[in-house]
Amino acid sequence: MHLLALLLPLSWRNLWRNPRRTLITLAVVAIGTWSVLIFAALFNALATGSRDTTLRLLTGHGQLHAAGYLEDPSVSHSMARPGPALRRALDAQPVAGWVERVRVPGIVQSEYRTRSVTLVGVVPQGERALSDVPREVIAGRYLADPADPGVVMGRDLAERLKTRIGKRVILMVQAADGHLAESGLTIVGLYAAGKPAEDEFLFTGLGTAQSLLGLGERLSEISFLVRDEAALTEVVAELRRAAPGLDVAPWMELAPLVYTIETFGRYYTIVWLLVMFTLMAIGLVNTQLMAVFERQREFGLLQALGMRPRQIVLQVVLESALLVGVGVLAGTALAAATLAPFHHGLDLGFLAPGAEIMGESRILHPALGAAESVRYGAIIWLLAVGAALWPALSAAAARPAAAMSR
Amino acid sequence: MTPIIQCRGVERTYTQGAVAVPALRGVDLTIGRGDFATLAGPSGSGKTTLLSVIGGLDRPSAGEILIEGRSIGGLDAAQLAELRLHKIGFVFQSYSLIPVLTALENVEFILRLLGVPRAERLARAREALHQVGLAGLEDRRPARLSGGQQQRVAVARALAPRPALVLADEPTANLDSANAGELIALMQDLNAASGITFLIATHDARVIAHSRRHIEMTDGRITLDESSSPAAA
Repeated sequence: MHLLALLLPLSWRNLWRNPRRTLITLAVVAIGTWSVLIFAALFNALATGSRDTTLRLLTGHGQLHAAGYLEDPSVSHSMARPGPALRRALDAQPVAGWVERVRVPGIVQSEYRTRSVTLVGVVPQGERALSDVPREVIAGRYLADPADPGVVMGRDLAERLKTRIGKRVILMVQAADGHLAESGLTIVGLYAAGKPAEDEFLFTGLGTAQSLLGLGERLSEISFLVRDEAALTEVVAELRRAAPGLDVAPWMELAPLVYTIETFGRYYTIVWLLVMFTLMAIGLVNTQLMAVFERQREFGLLQALGMRPRQIVLQVVLESALLVGVGVLAGTALAAATLAPFHHGLDLGFLAPGAEIMGESRILHPALGAAESVRYGAIIWLLAVGAALWPALSAAAARPAAAMSR
Repeated sequence: MTPIIQCRGVERTYTQGAVAVPALRGVDLTIGRGDFATLAGPSGSGKTTLLSVIGGLDRPSAGEILIEGRSIGGLDAAQLAELRLHKIGFVFQSYSLIPVLTALENVEFILRLLGVPRAERLARAREALHQVGLAGLEDRRPARLSGGQQQRVAVARALAPRPALVLADEPTANLDSANAGELIALMQDLNAASGITFLIATHDARVIAHSRRHIEMTDGRITLDESSSPAAA
């Protein structure tokens, strides 16, 4: 400990023997750290935005279906309401909420046009906790209860059908007994959730949909949210135990593209970190080698005075550790300052059409978590200190007499 | 009593490309405890090389060196550093101070490596600076000291740990007469008072005049080794 107390101030003072060189190296480390953190924040925001948009539309953290529904999402693959065992598992503490739905393909017809859609029968009260659609109603109202006979459709679909709130549309679906069922329903609300969803999903009350389809109380799916995503695997396993005849799938299986984007984001950040670190390491090692070369005589003197070679290695490594440490702190502060103005979101309006195709929301929320900043900062710091071993070892390698004669 | 330095057939040959340049050619030398010896000779005669191999700063090509009866030939770099830390003080021709430390911190440096407690360390470092006449300049960094003052700090640094042996290489070479005289007197006083052994490589006749033993080297060999009564400083 007393050795560190001796070497730390010495290392710090040594850094400032050449302030210009130290400041340039600090700038390199700070900018490198800043770029890694900004890159990570943006990619996280992209991945999280894409994920949240998808999960908060209908997917949730996971879903239960009758066997075969995911391959053929038709009325023929329906399931009964949850029995006591499954209900207990769904009401357990790790599950934040769950809803029952009917979800089948159908055709909607206005007086002008016909479009294929997915009819979703919902329990409105439950959907408010699980889905963003009730909050995204931009005209009219959301559904009031499971028996609500109205429909809520996407703004874009309404434009394509050339219809509007208050008008009736004809909905055609294949009923449970195989015949083609049709019903005239009144549009009570329009929602805005991005074009793929707006064009596809048409919402009505669960009871209305079950009645139209002749399903009785049977369902197409149950969607659930967990309180802590770290517990998702455990929750899925518990649900599978409680309902062995059903398909229980986490969101990663239900939305593989979203999961891939999120995974890619993580790897891209690591690749960027490695690229930036390599550039930083080249600069740092070069600077430290120059500094060590200039101070060979001094390292010889320190050995002559009784410093052991490993203490000299420690001193040079401490110099790098301090230099990179300050650079990482500065880079982190810079990144936090850069991201602060976007605390309430970064409007991607100019990219919105492309963003929607990727399942992105229009507003990104690039944020820098404390744990993530510390993790990336620590990785950069540790790698840089590791890279400094080379100049440090070369500082201690020369015999004192040879070093002092230089 | 075991001599503090014993050199037996010490050789040191440098290679410059394909050419072998012998710097020491079979040096046999014994220095007793408490000696105040000077080592003289023309440039290139091997004085600095001999001090380097005795202090473990360099390794001999052949022969054996014993410090306090212990051979240092088999010691690794860390063990040699440990030996220097505990036994040997160095004073070099150029002032060789650590530029980012103050005079006091330079003197304290070895004491801190030795793990001497803070209060004792500060007291000893201040006393050493006082002994070399630098009281009041403790907080100055080397760049704000004159050459003579820097050399005195180097002497104080060598003496503060109370080593058994001080190896000094041309310690007065960059000093004016007054400073050189004061430094010689200081080394003599410490030799007399503390029994520290001094081996001083020098051209300076004033230093030689005050030594009790004078050794001459020529072409890597000892050509004269005589004892005398030193002149008063």
